[in-house]
Amino acid sequence: MANYYDLDDILTEEEYVNVHFRFEAAGLGVLDPGSEHDNIDAGANVEIPLWLAHDLCNRKFVSIKLPYFYNERVRKEIQADASCVDLGRWCPYFYELGLKLAPMSSDPTLGSFLLYCLQGRYKEMLCKSHTVALTTAPKFVTLLTQEEFQLFEAARDSMKAYNKWRFQGCRLERAAVLGRKRRHNALLSPFELS
Amino acid sequence: MAARSSSDAESALFSGAEVEFLAEDDTVVMVPTLRMDTLHLICGDFGPFMPQVPTSVPLWLGIAMKKRGKCRLRAPEWMTVENLTQVLELERDSPQEFQPLPFHYVEVSRLLMDNARDDLVDVYMVQTLIEDIRNVRFHKVQSGLQNLSGKTHAVKLKNLAAMEVNLIRPFFVKALEKFYIHDDEELIKPTQSEADIQLASVDRLPRRVLRPR
Repeated sequence: MANYYDLDDILTEEEYVNVHFRFEAAGLGVLDPGSEHDNIDAGANVEIPLWLAHDLCNRKFVSIKLPYFYNERVRKEIQADASCVDLGRWCPYFYELGLKLAPMSSDPTLGSFLLYCLQGRYKEMLCKSHTVALTTAPKFVTLLTQEEFQLFEAARDSMKAYNKWRFQGCRLERAAVLGRKRRHNALLSPFELS
Repeated sequence: MAARSSSDAESALFSGAEVEFLAEDDTVVMVPTLRMDTLHLICGDFGPFMPQVPTSVPLWLGIAMKKRGKCRLRAPEWMTVENLTQVLELERDSPQEFQPLPFHYVEVSRLLMDNARDDLVDVYMVQTLIEDIRNVRFHKVQSGLQNLSGKTHAVKLKNLAAMEVNLIRPFFVKALEKFYIHDDEELIKPTQSEADIQLASVDRLPRRVLRPR
């Protein structure tokens, strides 16, 4: 499941999710700060990282509870105005985490909700990220998740490169090597001649 | 996931200078002021050059000779105020399609204005018009691409110029990838009716450019 060399992927898997233990787990008490003994009781709710939850869920030891930022209230907010919701604060990897949780959770609407959310926010980003002032960091950047920020950065960089090309002055740059060599020769030649 | 990381390098395929380099292969008409034999180049034979006899040469050759004062360059037919005004009006009138302009119009006009400013007529007017056209077209691209959905795996943008494509490519490729990933995941549990409607619309309009959501 994990992409070994992808930093974003690793960070996504570090996110904590709430799981519900179906069975008593011997020796896992360290995971639960509220546990009084070495074991986790059946029916306990514990926050564990996604990478652990994924394996435990595959073996049917636990069932996943979706984090609060996928709940009904947030969905309503996004329906109202997707681009104003501060997803970046809740979870920097909102989409990736959602994608990873979708097969595990019992909620069949999560996938389509993510797509809907992406669609809504993408429209705003398309306009804004190509037209914002290139020097200052615009206000809406703070609302973006990490994935959206990468999109925004791509757009901003290409606009920057275009403007640089459009308004640059002299296009010919002399290679550093060339200038040095010529000076070198000029210095040497009098000695050679004499 | 592997495809995603490898495409980071691909998405910024060309820099502005590289697109400009490609544009320099377009031909331009020039009026030489010197006598010279035919040039045998890999891209073809150009010349012979006689004073005051117009010949078409690649743009890079024209600019190189212009810089040495060996010729005057002629603006291409599309680079006139009348034509550009007309194009601008048509661009504004039709919000769905792009007017046919040369593939490298942004770069060619820029090169000519930088290097052969004294040979052009109405430079400022032409410059403003081209800038306006580019802005109108770019706005059109943006408003058109807003209607992207998970079912969009490709979009067709007819008559879009090289620089414009280059400008939106990084953002757009990444956005399409995101949509692809999300759509793929969603296919696991589609609601039956919704999937049917969408499939039907795809069959009916297989090549429609900007599919309504």
